[in-house]
Amino acid sequence: MRVLSVFSLVLGGLSLAAAAKSKKSSEERFQLYHGKALSSSPVKLGDSSYRELTATPRDYAAAVLLTAMDSRYGCQLCREFQPEWELLARSWTGGDRKGESRVVFGTLDFNDGRDVFMSLGLQTAPVLFFFPPTVGPHAAASSEPLRYDFTGGAQAAEVVHHWISRHLPDVPHPPIKRPINWMRWISTFVILSGGLTASYVAWPYVLPIIQSRTVWAAVTLISILLFTSGHMFNQIRNVPYVAGDGRGGIAYFAPGFQNQYGLETQIVAALYGILALSSISLAVKVPRMSDPRYQGIAFFVWFGIMFVVYSLLLSIFRGKNPGYNFSLPPFM
Amino acid sequence: MSKSSGKVKAGQLWSKNKDELTKQLAELKTELSQLRIQKIVSSGTKLTKIHDIRKSIARVLTVINAKQRAQLRLFYKNKKYLPLDLRAKQTRAIRRRLSPEDASRVLEKTKKRQTHFPQRKFAVKPVIFCCCFLPLQLQQSFGLLPGVSAFRLQTGERQHHHPSPQATMSADPLQTLASVGKGKSTRGVLRVIILALIAGAAIASRLFSVILDPWFNFRATKYLVANGFYNFWDWFDDRTWHPLGRVTGGTLYPGLMVTSGVIYHALRALRIPVDIRNICVLLAPAFSGLTAIAAYLLTNEMTPSSSAGLLAALFMGIAPGYISRSVAGSYDNEAIAIFLLVFTFYLWIKALKQGSMLWGALCALSYGYMVASWGGYAFITCLLPLHAFVLICMGRYSTRLYVAYTTWYALGTLASMQIPFVGFLPVKTSEHMPALGIFGFLQLLAFLDYVRSAIPSRQFQTFLWVFAGATFGIGLLGLVIATSAGFIAPWSGRFYSLWDTGYAKIHIPIIASVSEHQPTAWPAFFFDLNMLIWLFPVGVYLCFQELADEHVFIVVYALFGSYFAGVMVRLMLTLTPVVCIAAAIAVSTLLDTYLSTKSPKPEETLATEGSEGKKAAKSSLKSTSKPVVGVYGLWEKSMMVGALGVYLLLFVLHCTWVTSNAYSSPSVVLASRLPDGSQHIIDDYREAYQWLRQNTREDAKIMSWWDYGYQIGGMADRPTLVDNNTWNNTHIATVGKAMSSSEEVSYPIMRQHEVDYVLVVFGGLLGYSGDDINKFLWMVRIAEGIWPDEVNERSFFTSRGEYRVDGEASETMKNSLMYKMSYYNYNNLFPPGQAVDRMRQARLPEVGPSLSTLEEAFTSENWIIRIYKVKDLDNLGRDHMSAAAFDRGHKKKKATKKKGPRALRVE
Repeated sequence: MRVLSVFSLVLGGLSLAAAAKSKKSSEERFQLYHGKALSSSPVKLGDSSYRELTATPRDYAAAVLLTAMDSRYGCQLCREFQPEWELLARSWTGGDRKGESRVVFGTLDFNDGRDVFMSLGLQTAPVLFFFPPTVGPHAAASSEPLRYDFTGGAQAAEVVHHWISRHLPDVPHPPIKRPINWMRWISTFVILSGGLTASYVAWPYVLPIIQSRTVWAAVTLISILLFTSGHMFNQIRNVPYVAGDGRGGIAYFAPGFQNQYGLETQIVAALYGILALSSISLAVKVPRMSDPRYQGIAFFVWFGIMFVVYSLLLSIFRGKNPGYNFSLPPFM
Repeated sequence: MSKSSGKVKAGQLWSKNKDELTKQLAELKTELSQLRIQKIVSSGTKLTKIHDIRKSIARVLTVINAKQRAQLRLFYKNKKYLPLDLRAKQTRAIRRRLSPEDASRVLEKTKKRQTHFPQRKFAVKPVIFCCCFLPLQLQQSFGLLPGVSAFRLQTGERQHHHPSPQATMSADPLQTLASVGKGKSTRGVLRVIILALIAGAAIASRLFSVILDPWFNFRATKYLVANGFYNFWDWFDDRTWHPLGRVTGGTLYPGLMVTSGVIYHALRALRIPVDIRNICVLLAPAFSGLTAIAAYLLTNEMTPSSSAGLLAALFMGIAPGYISRSVAGSYDNEAIAIFLLVFTFYLWIKALKQGSMLWGALCALSYGYMVASWGGYAFITCLLPLHAFVLICMGRYSTRLYVAYTTWYALGTLASMQIPFVGFLPVKTSEHMPALGIFGFLQLLAFLDYVRSAIPSRQFQTFLWVFAGATFGIGLLGLVIATSAGFIAPWSGRFYSLWDTGYAKIHIPIIASVSEHQPTAWPAFFFDLNMLIWLFPVGVYLCFQELADEHVFIVVYALFGSYFAGVMVRLMLTLTPVVCIAAAIAVSTLLDTYLSTKSPKPEETLATEGSEGKKAAKSSLKSTSKPVVGVYGLWEKSMMVGALGVYLLLFVLHCTWVTSNAYSSPSVVLASRLPDGSQHIIDDYREAYQWLRQNTREDAKIMSWWDYGYQIGGMADRPTLVDNNTWNNTHIATVGKAMSSSEEVSYPIMRQHEVDYVLVVFGGLLGYSGDDINKFLWMVRIAEGIWPDEVNERSFFTSRGEYRVDGEASETMKNSLMYKMSYYNYNNLFPPGQAVDRMRQARLPEVGPSLSTLEEAFTSENWIIRIYKVKDLDNLGRDHMSAAAFDRGHKKKKATKKKGPRALRVE
């Protein structure tokens, strides 16, 4: 319902504007704004020019991005999408200098078009409106502008290009030309050559590290511990690191079997690591100690650690799965 | 006149007889006529009396009539027929119903059919019998016994640490049991017995429940057994994916069905009468027994200690991570594939160690069988080349590697191309390219090796190594170019989603929608592997100690297995074998160290320390640079062994608990606990499928979400539109669109696809989380992928971006077919205005949704399954909306007509 009311507002505004600005015909307006677009696309719009551009009847299409670039509003999405939008507008207008596709790209910043935002009742930015032509061969059935959803975050120019193309059949769709990112190529080249030189110079020192079995063992074990403690889950699901427990404190462990926090997985990985380390010490290090007294002490230390930590792990798991009823002392 | 002035009371009339009543009636009638006359003649005062008199007449008539009927009833008592107006009225339908004896009459033919071919029950009786008689205790004692014996066995096994085990044996108090047989043969027999016990335990622990689950596989097996192999190969199944059908023979992995078929025919040939259903049910447990043995063999290749092998077999037998996919009745590809996976690895290690072409060929054979069985064969296809590549990088190229790898690759690829579903994929798709690349690389290396042996020049060697590297690089570049130019198909979506974890979410909603393709949280790891999960790194570390070729394999497998298991819950299955093996190595090392009866003498060790310290190999681990001394104290030994015993016991208890609680509840029967702790079985699925089977036409097409396709096809035996074999995304999206659009849009879709019934799963009444409303967004997303203009995910959320089902749900949501079907008539269960969805804790709007193109056909006991019948076209040619509106509005219009003032017709 809310969307409908927005549309009706838009329409109301349009008809008013059309009444006020009826001096220019549709064709004149298109030539005017297309001329502007040729020098700099997307066209920067204000309150009045927005109304003029989107007035009915029109035999051209207009795509207008309503955005808030000023850092006061802190619109992260606007700033992320802006370069993509400019790229799209530039390559479209550049690929269609004669205006055969009859599309005008415009940007209306909140600072320049406060009234438009107010009249549309917009609470959020950015909003991308697409105004299909109302007369002429490509006229759309309804003159209501189409609204593009930024639900999936800032989109690449190609996605928006696809969306606009879908609503404009039978006209040329100039492809997006991404400028070659010279900076990136150069920096890649410099880093690569630098890395090669460095590795060539440092080779005698690096080689023993690469060939060291201990280093490889450490890397392998750490990555195994990461993977088995749910690190990939964190990566994919973007889970929070910790969360509040609702009473002002910090909840280290997420409730439920299918949930986890970032810190939680690190705790679990550490517990696994300690358990593995104590087992390794008990299996490998302790029997290699030649002094009976030291051996005894080392054994009891590692053994105690293993026993306590496993009990702790079981108790944590019981917290995650209430039906689980196995436990070991001391954390019964 | 005066007599009849008062009102007549019905109560006083009953005592009068017929004549008196007739008389009184006549009097009243005359009085009435007089009063009528008075009314016309003069404006009499007693006009109100007319009313009373009329009522009195009626009372008298009523009494007369009642008396008459009572008399008649008395008269007709015990007569054969009763006059119509004396019979009970009831409704027309009830009056015309067959009498009970007529209704229960059965044709002789039907009677025979029922006795000879009764309705099948969904479980196998002998296995249920087993379930009752092999409860927890037996499984535990089975599980524990081999473990304990394994401890006792292993003292004599570590030859490299104790060169003369026989000498120490007599001093071992623990050894008394095992020392009955000092000879090798006795120990061998004991080992075989233990292995057999472990295999038995593995089978027994999988018999907690029996429900045959992917029904499709069972259907395919039946078809195979009934029609023979070649017909099965060409099988076109027209009862799924209506109206497309499915070329089943060419789109499935036939290994499972062929295995069951072969077993079936073998048993038949031995004159053992067995039902194919029993084979299907028991296939997975039987193969898990074999998996335990394969794990034993593979572990024995890793370590000289044979207790490690037994422990690995034990772990493999009862680890929940594997049980989850191999309980009795879980008749899926994984049932045999994990055995083949482990066995192929065993053969590969064997071939690599011996450089034997025979073992390589056997490995290829096993690999071919694996390809025929499970799509997960790509894991082997990538792991073996990776292992070879790591070995080459470590400078361990050898002719053994060359022989083993080339034999496996050449024969294995040929074998895999025999499967129609795989076909030419091994030479066309990217996931098979590493294997091909390493194959080529090995040829180059072999060539260079030959040249090097012929020309002993150092410079030339360096040049050759550079040449080899350059060739490899060019090959890689060529691969990239060929891929980007489209000669080689790019990584398939499912595989690609493993590497780029965000890929599936954006591009392939159908993959992301499957719960098995979700990433794994840490409790799942602990749940499935318990203490093995932290013994796993220990075993991998111990592999680094020696780091022979086979240990490199374990390390590579461990790394990649754990990565994949972290990305996808389902791949926990491929991780489990390596975890079991590594953990078994760790436990056996601990036991070997602490169960040894030999205690070192402090003086001796101090003396030898100086001389041996220098000998430690340069490239080994830092921690193993010192020589092994042994454990001095008896306390340490007994404590460690005791603790390990407790941990193993806990592990067995954990496995039993997990298996009986989590993995033995079949998906079609839900078990819940009542407040008093007793178990309550919710059997709505089977109830609904049974209803479909008995109340619908044989060829009635059922539309449901694809999750239920196999079940409907198997249990209800009705054609479906989509099923769990998700080969056609567009068709699934069509169903998604029908479900997520309004009735006006859905009805033509359903008509076009000849849908007769629509089945939805609704958990609102019971709080069942796996229902269609919770899956609904995936339907929307999949439909949006094909029709972005018509279905829009955003419009299913409220303006604040919430997914709601209550009064504030978005209009699109409320109008969607799925919403309407789920909540249709749901309000009537509750007092007005108090309808609550218990799953989503939402209070529903007071007026429920109305349906005009569907009618409710069946709702199961707990409302989990709701089935709707798609209405036929309207008889009068109206569309269903207006017909329904007409039906609803009919009464209202009539009422207004009555009340309104009459207008004079002028013309």
